[in-house]
Amino acid sequence: MGLPIPNSKLGMWLFLGTEIMFFTAFIGANLVLRIGSPGWPTDPDVTHIKIWAGGLNTFVLITSSYCVVIAHEAMIAKNFKKARVYLAWTFALSCLFLGIKGSEYYGKFDHDILPGHIAENDEQAINKVTREMEAAVNSQMARHGLKGKALADKRTALQAAIGKQSGGNKTQLQVLAVFDAEFAELKRHARDNVSLSIPFSKFEERRKTLTAGAKLPPLTLHEVQEHVTKLKADEQLKSLMSSVHDPHPIPYGNLFASTYFIMTGFHALHVVIGMILFGMVLMQGSKLDSNWNDWVENSGLYWHFVDLVWIFLFPLLYIV
Amino acid sequence: MSDEHAGHHPVNYFIIFLILCFCTFMSVVFDFVKIDNKILLIVLVMSVATAKALFVMTYFMHLKFEGNWKFVLLAPTVALAMGLPLALLPDVGLHYYQRDVPQMHDEVTAHAEKADEKPMATQKKKH
Repeated sequence: MGLPIPNSKLGMWLFLGTEIMFFTAFIGANLVLRIGSPGWPTDPDVTHIKIWAGGLNTFVLITSSYCVVIAHEAMIAKNFKKARVYLAWTFALSCLFLGIKGSEYYGKFDHDILPGHIAENDEQAINKVTREMEAAVNSQMARHGLKGKALADKRTALQAAIGKQSGGNKTQLQVLAVFDAEFAELKRHARDNVSLSIPFSKFEERRKTLTAGAKLPPLTLHEVQEHVTKLKADEQLKSLMSSVHDPHPIPYGNLFASTYFIMTGFHALHVVIGMILFGMVLMQGSKLDSNWNDWVENSGLYWHFVDLVWIFLFPLLYIV
Repeated sequence: MSDEHAGHHPVNYFIIFLILCFCTFMSVVFDFVKIDNKILLIVLVMSVATAKALFVMTYFMHLKFEGNWKFVLLAPTVALAMGLPLALLPDVGLHYYQRDVPQMHDEVTAHAEKADEKPMATQKKKH
């Protein structure tokens, strides 16, 4: 004597049991890390979390869950046309959910809120600016066909090209040379930790005036922020600075981004799997019959679970 | 077979849907009201989330109409699911020691300097 439910439903519930453990591991890890990290980022201006997007997605998933349950009821009542309509709505709503999620992900990528990319203190923020400027210099050098193993070789090629070229091309290369000089200057200041108020060419001269043990004034994040703002406002350099992000350290930003993407990413993957399950039913078209009752019921259980996970992710990620 | 075990349930699903929408609206309101007390905010929004989850499980997932097998099947997984967070909590969440991580480097340095100023006897007592 077994359980009073069909094997397929028992299988689905056992699977959902493992899914509870799967998502609790991520949600629990997020909670524990958050408790242990004073200053965990919650400010929407910093995390680029949009409450309206989360709220709208919650509404979308709840509506899709309602559509599934109505579709299942219609299947039992042998009203297969109605079932198909509601399942089509579920499918469309899941597309909408992924669209909204995609726009949120775009914002995260645009602001470089990505695991391992976020500066967590002033020093890391300054280094990130120099890295991004170096990447922009290398990318522009490659675009102009300036080759070389090291950056120094490319700089030599750049100077040679400026001498050979004329007109618009020459102007572009000259602007690149100015940008490269700005990058090189900032990198020297970051390496030696010396304020931007002292040009690199004066470093040695100023060091000689110092008493024993004294240091030149250090480079501050505020200075670098102002410098980046100035370069971004420059008519010639602003296009080259477009890939350089404003230096704003976010303590525990990388842990935040890691947990955010792992939770929402796996949830989105479950949404895609649900769409495949419903898509297979919809592909039956007018051939849909009672043989698909168990499929719709079990897919519905799975879909409600996906909704259930989002019900907890919404307050944890968007509100608290 | 499906008709036998999963017949029509006397539930007004639209009412459940409206309740779920209202709960979602309340969660958003709690965010917009700007509740300063963080603990109160957590209790409020997580209570709403739990209520929503119970509505979905009870009515949409039909657990209200299922037999006691649901407890046998779900209780162990829920207990096991709590294992990882509880195992991590003492060391990662509630650590008693000051961690030397880049995010807290200034605080750690200040803490270490402060500790150096204290007489050894005081420091020993503390440990």
